[in-house]
Amino acid sequence: MPLSRRALAAAFAVCVALPLSACGSSGGGSADADASGKVEGDITFQTWNLRANFKDYFEGVIAGFEKKYPGTKVKWIDQPAEGYADKISADAAGGTLPDVVNVSPDLVAPLAKAGLALDLDKVAAKYKKEYLDGAWASHQVPGLQGTYAFPWYLNTGPLFYNKTLFKEAGLDPEQPPKTYDEVFDAALTMAEKTDGKVATLANVPTIEDFGRYGVPLMNKEGTAFAFNDTKGVELLTKYKELYDAKALDPQALTATPESSGKKFLTGAVAMNPGSALDLGNFKKQAPNLYKNIGITDQITSTGHVNMYVMGVMVNAQTKRTPAAVAFAHYVTDAEHQMSFAKKVAIFPSTAGSLDDPYFTKEDGTDETRVRVAAAKSLKNAVNYTPVLFSEQMKTALRNEVAKALQGKESPKEALDNAVEACDRLLRQQG
Amino acid sequence: MASSTVSRVRRQLPSSPWLFAAPGLLITGAFILYPFVSTLVNAFTDRRTLIPGEFVGLANFSELLHDDMFWIGLRNSTLYVLVVVPALVVLPLLLALLVQKNIPGITFFRSAFYTPVVASIVVVGLIWVWLLDERGLVNSVLEAIGVGRVGFLSDQWLLLLSAMAVTVWKGLGYYMIIYLAALANVPRELHEAAAVDGAGAVRRFLSVTVPAVRSTMVLVGALSSVAAFKVFSEVYLMAGPSGGPAGEDTTLVMLVQRTGTGLTGRVGYASAISVVVFVVTVALMLLVLRADRKDAS
Amino acid sequence: MSVIDKAPPAPARPAAPREPRITDEHGRRVRVWELALRYLLLLGVLALTVGPFLWQLSTSLKGPTEDIFSSPPRFLPADPTLHNYERVADTIPVWDYALNSLKVAAANVVTNCVGAALAGYALARLRYRGRTAATLVFILAMLVPVEGIIIAQFTTMRELGLNNTLIGVVLPGCVSALNVLLMRNAFLNLPYEIEEAAFVDGANVWQRFLRVAVPSVKGTLAVVAIFAFMGAWDDFLWPLIVLSDPSKFTLTIGLNYLHGTFANDERLVAAGTIIAVAPLIALFACLQRYFFRGVGEGAVKG
Repeated sequence: MPLSRRALAAAFAVCVALPLSACGSSGGGSADADASGKVEGDITFQTWNLRANFKDYFEGVIAGFEKKYPGTKVKWIDQPAEGYADKISADAAGGTLPDVVNVSPDLVAPLAKAGLALDLDKVAAKYKKEYLDGAWASHQVPGLQGTYAFPWYLNTGPLFYNKTLFKEAGLDPEQPPKTYDEVFDAALTMAEKTDGKVATLANVPTIEDFGRYGVPLMNKEGTAFAFNDTKGVELLTKYKELYDAKALDPQALTATPESSGKKFLTGAVAMNPGSALDLGNFKKQAPNLYKNIGITDQITSTGHVNMYVMGVMVNAQTKRTPAAVAFAHYVTDAEHQMSFAKKVAIFPSTAGSLDDPYFTKEDGTDETRVRVAAAKSLKNAVNYTPVLFSEQMKTALRNEVAKALQGKESPKEALDNAVEACDRLLRQQG
Repeated sequence: MASSTVSRVRRQLPSSPWLFAAPGLLITGAFILYPFVSTLVNAFTDRRTLIPGEFVGLANFSELLHDDMFWIGLRNSTLYVLVVVPALVVLPLLLALLVQKNIPGITFFRSAFYTPVVASIVVVGLIWVWLLDERGLVNSVLEAIGVGRVGFLSDQWLLLLSAMAVTVWKGLGYYMIIYLAALANVPRELHEAAAVDGAGAVRRFLSVTVPAVRSTMVLVGALSSVAAFKVFSEVYLMAGPSGGPAGEDTTLVMLVQRTGTGLTGRVGYASAISVVVFVVTVALMLLVLRADRKDAS
Repeated sequence: MSVIDKAPPAPARPAAPREPRITDEHGRRVRVWELALRYLLLLGVLALTVGPFLWQLSTSLKGPTEDIFSSPPRFLPADPTLHNYERVADTIPVWDYALNSLKVAAANVVTNCVGAALAGYALARLRYRGRTAATLVFILAMLVPVEGIIIAQFTTMRELGLNNTLIGVVLPGCVSALNVLLMRNAFLNLPYEIEEAAFVDGANVWQRFLRVAVPSVKGTLAVVAIFAFMGAWDDFLWPLIVLSDPSKFTLTIGLNYLHGTFANDERLVAAGTIIAVAPLIALFACLQRYFFRGVGEGAVKG
């Protein structure tokens, strides 16, 4: 194709002459927002992949709210699991964020910094006492004053193990490991007895694992990462040993929660963390396995298990602040969290809810046993994932951990590099 | 043929050419080139997803030079071109020769070979991840015939190779059709003359078929090398968002996606990588076309 | 080109001797061992290209009591059931999503066929200043890495007020650069003589375009149609970003609900993928006759 240089120059001139819009919102102020007005108007509520299974529940909640506050109308939109962060980013950059949004702490942090999340300490401080302290604090962002989302449901889970595989390896299926050391020993035995065919763990250590092992993740001010201390190096060194012995699955470096779940189902891996929810899955997907599943507590060296927190934030730029705040509170109040928890294996973040007999009384079934144990452990659980730990940082840590496991770097070097990379990303977040 | 007629056919009302081209130019300009120009501008800023950037000169580009991940991405995208392009130039041609003869049922085979092209890449990814899993179908077969299980999805190089295989698998049918059309234009006399000369099948392939479809091979080479350098989905789906063990399977476009998206995305830096990708694909295209012109003359 | 479109020739003529007469493209007889080898190779490639889809289909037909992770794998469902498809339809409004996808895909087909034919004709046939620059615009557009510009595209769409509309989903791809270039090549391959007669009859440029040029490149139009349909039907990230309202979601986004945290069942996912692929295969089966002719027209000449 003959192209003259002049044509090229012309094309570029045309392109560059086009006016450029510097997109991206310039962070609206949330300071003046006021939630004390009349609760009225149309608002939009966005959830994260809850429609497929809980359509009736949410429609019920919305109908209840609209009845309680005549003159309001809630439009519910639900986004699928994949691409949620991309969706929120595009909306945030384009100024089309819904009024009330289902978020997790790591999503809230950048939104709060950009002035897009409403500070609830300013407009909704009166509701603070209704929630567990730890849950309320989970949407606070280091470096910023305030709390940027109502805590919603919590989740944590036990560790599942395959009794058959334990038996075959000569381990006692009724005495599952309870500490990190016991897990590591069991894993090495399993690998040795099965000639490396059956691994015990399917995932490389994540930031939560470091937290549960007792490694300090950040400095006190929350301005730099600190998980490269001796304790962190010790954990990674141990994992390296497991990896070399094939006690950590050889595919662990590329594993996702889904793929490791699958491995557990196929009996390629002997242990897998999960939640009460997974029990149902096991029953459905691998009926043969279900009979042989053992359940034990999450392993932790700190006395605190890890929990995941979901939140509901209010868009700082909403035109209907009173209605949006009222609805965000309504969805997350004790009554509605409790009824949601009875629909699906999640746990309410409201004070006192976990003392409900539903979470304390056993009835002999596996489901109840898991639920009661989890509810008990949640009372002092910690959300180990730092609020400022972005996707990019997760990847950086994961890749450095992989280098250590492959032997390309020593555990110490790998963690030093990971901390350096995460600190740099933290500074670049602005 | 009177050349004056030709030029008369080409003579037009002054406005109509632009009217004809207008819809296409408008759409392409507004939704592809204009956003791309903002990307070009962003490449010289430190813009983040939610924070408007400031002009930083060439800082992003000089950071690229010291970014290990960038070099890994460049290596993988280049390897992708080097492996996938020859395969997609040669294999579909052989396949086209295989389905060229009108034997009974051949239409069925031609259509069936095209199915992978029609299926979406996400579906293809899901299917192959499950097939190549350590306990998947492929490994069960390999173990049954005594080869033993292979870590297609855990080894850095096997993973890249598996993704390349999927790219080739999905592209076979597409390029096969292009070749099939070209082959139909090869005059039979050429083959017959060669057969009379006593040339075997391989000789005939090299001395008759290949020269006859050479320009098509160049086209396939150009299209597939641009696509291969911009590879994203196959590797992303098979190696995962973090790019395989230690990120060693990251490609350049994956790096664009990883650094630039999400609420903490570094739009400026990702734009700089996009610019590099664009420059290299333009260069690749020019290289292939120039090689073609040189060969032809 | 005609060779390719020919239906498989009826192999056994009544008058033929005992052995069926199979001929190659030059009318010569094909030897039996060569034929056998050909079929063997064809079947091998068939297993490779179609096998993976059949495996997915088999998974989707397996009932809830069947262990789908068993090793060695079972190829055929022990007790085939359509139950998983019913469950997909119960879990998400799959028909609404399919209808949205169909609207988007159909619009995309129409705009691409019309827009690409017009632009391709202008690039190939009309003589005017700036034609090279116009061609260059489309070539450059083809080289742009889309992953890097998606947020900028969204911002543009929002400024036009078209976010959260199906029009917004269609617009960026509604005249794709690749299709324009395909059409350009198809028109370039048409001999000028074809239009000449019409010109002599006094037809203007629009009439020549509609009555003479377009009917001669039907094949390439079929290719553009299939590409446009596929592109719109398969796209995930762009519709996800543009659309907010679930009632407007397309099938690929909707099916993603099956894949999430609260519902995770391999059989359902398999049924979902089959639902996503089946219409494309059906469409392709219908259009394949034109299609095989078309890819040739547009692409032979570089």
